[in-house]
Amino acid sequence: MFKRVFTIPIILFLFVLSVFFYLLIIERDPLDLPSNLLNKNVPDFEAKSLLNDEKFVASNEFGNELVLVNFFATWCKPCRDEHIYIKKFSKRGIRIIGINYKDKSANAIKWLGKLGNPYSNIPIDKDGRIAIDWGVYGIPETFIVDSKGIIKYRHVGPVTKKIYKKINLLINEIEK
Amino acid sequence: MIKKNFIIIIYILLIQVFANNSFAVEPDEILKNPKKELRARNISKNIRCMVCQNQSIDESGAPLAKDLRILIRSQVKDGKNDKEIYKFLTDRYGDFILLKPPFKLTTFALWIFPFIFLLIGIFIIFYYNKKSLNK
Repeated sequence: MFKRVFTIPIILFLFVLSVFFYLLIIERDPLDLPSNLLNKNVPDFEAKSLLNDEKFVASNEFGNELVLVNFFATWCKPCRDEHIYIKKFSKRGIRIIGINYKDKSANAIKWLGKLGNPYSNIPIDKDGRIAIDWGVYGIPETFIVDSKGIIKYRHVGPVTKKIYKKINLLINEIEK
Repeated sequence: MIKKNFIIIIYILLIQVFANNSFAVEPDEILKNPKKELRARNISKNIRCMVCQNQSIDESGAPLAKDLRILIRSQVKDGKNDKEIYKFLTDRYGDFILLKPPFKLTTFALWIFPFIFLLIGIFIIFYYNKKSLNK
């Protein structure tokens, strides 16, 4: 009797410990939250464009082909780091819409002039209201929108080599 | 000596009390109507700051928290009820934005298990008590 009182808690404790250990060793980023917009239509919005005088109307831009949406700003260092990968997507022939988040337009134009412009269209999100509709909480964020205008994937944080490969594979899968 | 320690402890406890009351709402955000402002503040206290994650937007100085505070206030002003405002936020950010998880089918276990464990605990205590009394 006395024995059982001691062995059961020890077994339970070891079980809890192994669960925690498992969560520790698998690649899990607790900051990487699932998007609530997954498998939903892109939010509808209109905005000024950075590089031309035409108004950006979301309903005209999505739903024709697969599009990447990338929230960026010149004040955001990780955005600069991921820029080479965004350019690689553009070289692959993928349409990318860059949403310029809470930025000074003059800075953004200069930045793109210097680093190259991979974006086919750049709506301006001056006060961050568009980002809220997309559930964005920390730029850079990148979304894959399929040819039906449905959000298929969201990545929070800079696109690294690993994420670049992952997104490429996902695009191949979605375009099938 | 004891008295000195006592004062220090009281002091530390008082700091905790006031720290809990700290908020990040800036003067220009506050609504003129105190009733509406109170409603907005009560909502913001239940909304997680997605940047800091363990703070509510009412306490957080993050720019996104400020944006959401202003947005909530403008919706309160527009006459939206609390439910509509919560729905607006969870539609965009998911249930995670609520500091208190809602009672749903997927969170059923989360809410019910503490009570089940309590019952098991009570059962075990009575069971062994009875046994030891019988001896």
